This record gives sequence, C-alpha cells and structure tokens, in this order.
Amino acid sequence: MASGGGDDDTGGKLLVNRYLKGEQLGEGTYGIVNKAIDTKTGNTVAIKRIRIGEKKEGVNFTALREIKLLKELKDPNIIELIDCFPYKENLHLVFEFMDTDLEAVIKDKRIVLSPADTKSYAQMMLKGLAFCHKKWVLHRDMKPNNLLIGADGQLKLADFGLARMFGSPGRNFTHQVFARWYRAPELLFGSKQYGSAVDIWAAGCIFAELLTRRPFAQGSSDIDQLGKIFAALGTPKSSQWPDMAYLPDYVEYQYVAAPPLRTLFPLASDDALDLLSKMLTYDPKARITAQQALEHRYFSSLPAPTIPSQLPRPRRKGDSGNNKIPDLNLQDGPVVLSPPRKLRRVTAHEGMEGNMHRADKVDEHPSGTRHTDDMSSQSSRIPMSVDVGAVFGTRPAPRPTLNSADKSHLKRKLDMDPEFGFGE
Amino acid sequence: MLGQPDPTNFCFRKPSHSIRLRQTPSHPPPAFSRSLFGRRDARVRRLAGIAVPRMAANFWASSHCKQLLDNPEDADLVPAADRERGITPEEFRLVKIHMSFHIWRLAQAVKVRQRVIATAVTYFRRVYTRKSMSEYDPRLVAPTCLYLASKVEESTVQARLLVFYIKKMCGTGSDDKYRFEIKDILEMEMKLLEALDYYLVVFHPYRPLLQLLQDAGITDLTQFAWGLVNDTYKMDLILIYAPYMIALACIYIASVLKDKDTTSWFEELRVDMNIVKNISMEILDFYDTYKIDPQRGLPEDKISPVLNKLPAKS
Repeated sequence: MASGGGDDDTGGKLLVNRYLKGEQLGEGTYGIVNKAIDTKTGNTVAIKRIRIGEKKEGVNFTALREIKLLKELKDPNIIELIDCFPYKENLHLVFEFMDTDLEAVIKDKRIVLSPADTKSYAQMMLKGLAFCHKKWVLHRDMKPNNLLIGADGQLKLADFGLARMFGSPGRNFTHQVFARWYRAPELLFGSKQYGSAVDIWAAGCIFAELLTRRPFAQGSSDIDQLGKIFAALGTPKSSQWPDMAYLPDYVEYQYVAAPPLRTLFPLASDDALDLLSKMLTYDPKARITAQQALEHRYFSSLPAPTIPSQLPRPRRKGDSGNNKIPDLNLQDGPVVLSPPRKLRRVTAHEGMEGNMHRADKVDEHPSGTRHTDDMSSQSSRIPMSVDVGAVFGTRPAPRPTLNSADKSHLKRKLDMDPEFGFGE
Repeated sequence: MLGQPDPTNFCFRKPSHSIRLRQTPSHPPPAFSRSLFGRRDARVRRLAGIAVPRMAANFWASSHCKQLLDNPEDADLVPAADRERGITPEEFRLVKIHMSFHIWRLAQAVKVRQRVIATAVTYFRRVYTRKSMSEYDPRLVAPTCLYLASKVEESTVQARLLVFYIKKMCGTGSDDKYRFEIKDILEMEMKLLEALDYYLVVFHPYRPLLQLLQDAGITDLTQFAWGLVNDTYKMDLILIYAPYMIALACIYIASVLKDKDTTSWFEELRVDMNIVKNISMEILDFYDTYKIDPQRGLPEDKISPVLNKLPAKS
C-alpha cells in the first residue's frame, strides 16, 4: 500500500481538483512532501503524503497526532493545517508553505541578528507557545528547526508529532521527549508528570541560542547534558528546587556555583538576561509561563522587536535546497558539507533513537527514521561552535534526539495510568 | 453499567426542547467558572496535580463545541439513502444503541480506557449525522471507530487484535456480517477520518464529573453518577450538549435518587437548570423506553431485521 502511488511524484498534476502538484521537496518522517499550488487560493502549499504503515497499522500514529492537534490550533504563530484529503489510498496533509526555519537563520554566518531581531523571534516563538499552552497542548519538541519561517517572516511552531494534550490529573507521560539539548532538567531526571514548563525550558535554550548563535548546552548523554547545564547555571540547591531529589532518575551532582549569567551572554541586555534566567529556572513550578514571559519588560523595553517582514533571511541554497516545510527533515539534503565521519555516526546511531522517541508504542513505527533525516540536514551546515571532545575524537557530539532506552522499559513507562479505570 | 433508575422520584414535568439553550462561546459560564475555580481554586488545583482542569478553559474554543448540533432532533434524522431502504427513525436509533453496545463489548475484550470507548461512540454517532448506514456499514464503522479512538487517545489497539476479538465474539453464530478483515478496517479508517472532517478531539463528561462531585462534596455518588454518564453514550447527548452539562445532569439524577440535597450547590453554580433538567429527563426517558439489559444489550431479534435492510457487504 505504501508504495502504491509511486508514480505521482512527478508533479504537474491536479490533485482533488484543487492542488497543482509541484516538485518533491523531500521525504519527511512519515511520507513524501511536495510543493504545490492551491488553485483555490493561489497560495503555495506543502503537501505531505502519509504512508500507510507497512505493518498494517493504518494511518500513521504521528500523523494522526498532528492532525488531531493542528485542527484545534489556529494561530498566526502555529503552522496551519489547511486541508486533509485521501487520494490513491494515501492520506494527504496540506500545510502552508514555509521558506525556511530558525535553525537556518541561527546557522547562517552571514546573518547578523540585531537585538531587535532576536526579540522578534523570541516573541513569535513565545506567542505560539502561549497559544498551545492555553489550549492545553504541550509541544514537546521545541527546537530551532521545528520553528519554521514563512515568506512574510512570521515564525511558526511546527511538527506536532510529539505534542499532546495535558491536564489529566496525575497522568504519566514519557520523559523521552525533545531533542536532548532542549530537554528540561526535570525530564533529564526522569519526571513523568510534567507540564508546560518543559516547553518553556526548551524555548529558553532557543532564546540563548539566538543570543550566542550556538546551542546553549550540548550534552552527549543525559548525564552530560545535566552536567553542561549545571556548569552554566550552577548546580541546583534543594532550596532552589525542592522536588528535585524526589525525581525518579535523580543523581547528585558535585556542587558548582553559578557563574554570573553575564559572562555567558556578554552582549545581551539586562532585560534579556532577566527573562532568560526566568525561562531557565530549575524548579518547573517557579519557571515563568509563556504568557508571563510575553508580559516581561524585555518585550516592552527598547529596542522594539523587528517587524517580521524585515527580519534577515538566510541565503537560499538553490531553489529548494534550504527551504523548509512543516516537519520536513530532508533526507536527500542537497549539499552535505560536513565530513562523512559525522554523517555515518548520525545515521547508524540516531536513527534508531529517533524512532524510539517518536513512538508511544515502539513497534508502531517500523521505519521511523526521522532523526536520521534531521541529523543530515543538521550536519549539512557548518557548525557554529567546536566541541573539543568531538574534534579530538574522545566523544561524539551529534545533535542528539533521545538517549537510548530499553524498548520494554520505555513501553512500560508510556501511558499506563488508570485515570479512567473505574467504571470500566 | 447500571440498571434502570426509578423515575418516580422525579416530580418535574418533562420540558419541551424549545427551552433548551446550548451555551455558546459567546455566552460562557462565568458563574460556573468562578464557583469551580475561584473560591475553591486551591482545592481544585490540588486535585488536578500540576495542571488545572482543562475543560473550562478549553471546551468553548474547541472543535467539539463548534460541532454541537443546534437542533437536537438532527441526531435522529435518518439519511435519505437509509430512508429509501425503509429504515425508520426508531430503527435508526436502535442500531446506534446496539452498536454502542458492540463497541463497548469489543472495548472490554481489548481492554482500553473508558475514555477511548466514549470517544469511539462519539465518532460513531457523529458519522451518522452525515453519512448513511447503507453506505457506511455500522458493523464495520463501529470497530473502526474504536480503532481510531484508541490511536487518538494514545492507547493504540492493533487492528489485528480487534479483528481477532470480533471473530471470537461474533464468529460462532450466523453473524458473519460482523466479521471483517484488517484491510476493511484500515480502508474504513480513511473514510472515517474524512467523514469526521478530521476533527478528532472530543471532550467527555467524566473529568468534569469528578471535579464537580468533589466540589459538591458528594464523592460517595461517584460510582453511580459515573454509570449514568456511561449510559449517556447510548444516546446522542454528547453531540448536543456541553460535556459538563451532561455531567451535571448525571449528578442531578444521582443526587435526587440518593436523596442528597444539592439544591444550594446547583444554585451557586448558576448554570441554566432548564438544560440540566432537560438532559436529566432525556436520560430517564431513555431508561424508561428501552429497558436495556446492561449486560446483553438489545435483543438480536429487534436488531437483525433492521440490519437486514442494509445492503449486504461487498
């Protein structure tokens, strides 16, 4: 069934009497993505063709999550799911077309981000997040390449394949979410009952990344990730974060005092640093919310955020090279600049983990190589910072997505609570 | 599941549908919110752990809310294709009741949460406000709804497991019209998504029920009221009313039947009691009319003739 419609990747075809199919943009997590013209509106759109699972499990689980949540979330800072339709036994999702993503902006060395530009991106990111949280949706995969940027410069949250609704009392969630570099400390300590604060931590990491143009903390394992965070922000004391010691995977770290934040972000304004420190607060209960962050004086003080349409654009690599569309992680990325060593490590290692990371029930995702794609698109750009360990070959530093977890262990952790147990 | 409550304790008249007023987003329930999340805010928050109950903040802007039927009679409209085959509104309703049981039994075999069952039945009922049973065989739509709901509610049941249990449940008799293969379910899943217009998030009365019972201090009624809520899925109420109103109606029935005085509590909520009483009456009418055996559902001889009017599966 999956390979059934192989002939319609050629383009130039009118689908369901509405979409004029264009070039193939790449292969995403769960299907092929094509550019298309919506003849009803004249807009360019991205059409994702959902493969039907080879293991006879119907419409892809991740795709279903995305449909379910995006149908409820309509906001200028959230990717729009324009339409869904079945065609040739495949489900097609129509998204608004997006030119690029925040990762491309951060990594493009030619771009100079002014304080006003950074503020604009941070504000759009937080607006999208505040809307999600208002609707009780956790994104759970905030990272620069999931923040897409449209032709008008608007930044939009995309890829809701890991997102889910929250608010069920005491319901357990998996802590195996987010790419590791954006994972909140409570998740790294194995917390299973978490809330919107996890998205805020990730947003804080992205904010920091905007300020310095390199990932805030690039851990190579969960333990290392925590070590890097603590080195930057100091080891949390129990007075700072009372619940910390009760988290499932809590381990005690050697005490390191926090260096002044200013030393890490020499060019940031005081307001920016104040907001950042509130987003990167250890105790999730004390962490600022998206709405509070938007009301922070950083956004009302000068300089005013840049108007989206005037934000700098990353240079395009050819027509489709650097273009990003929702959840598209180019598998056959056009130019791979990084040494093959890096790629090999990525595909052999992270693909499996990416798979795990997507799965609520692991065996539903037989071919999820999402983060393999992710990685190659990552490494197709020149890294901004040099990880000394990686250079000297002592320790790999790929953009990690998930620590390896024993399958059955993960399975056991997922969605097992009897919330509505009685009465059944 | 529960037996038939005794409706004689009720002294109010059956109101007509005309006074039923569905609250819309433009007319949110401020009094309700204040009472539930204001004065007893701390308690509700504690109850909810890290997160405040989602319903109040969210339902009014949801697709579920927008899709509520303006006219309750719409749920009973028999699609043209089915009318041509001689299916009456009563028969149409019977099939929906019967299939709710079918989903229920299947769900118990594959062991899913209550919420999944409720979502599945809601999908099932929504489909038949738009599609005909002649075109969408309810015997296939029912298990497919359960399949889809299990995925949406994040507790996936494999299609082959469903097929296995359908065969086990319906395989012995002459009932091979209930039997389908995996590919039938997967094909129907796509058609179902389209029929539902890809709106998949559904709210249910269960969570507000627990919160409201807690708030009213009558948690000893939980089991009984929960059973009532379960039974509301044998009807189309979930397509018509806000879930918390259904929860309130169940609390109302439960408190009257168990002699709990909740009058002042209801007054304090300042919800439209006409709606609550309307829903309550509909529920009691339902018990009165159908007198369904909670274990076995409707007798086969009532259902088979109706289903035989539908085209044989291809």
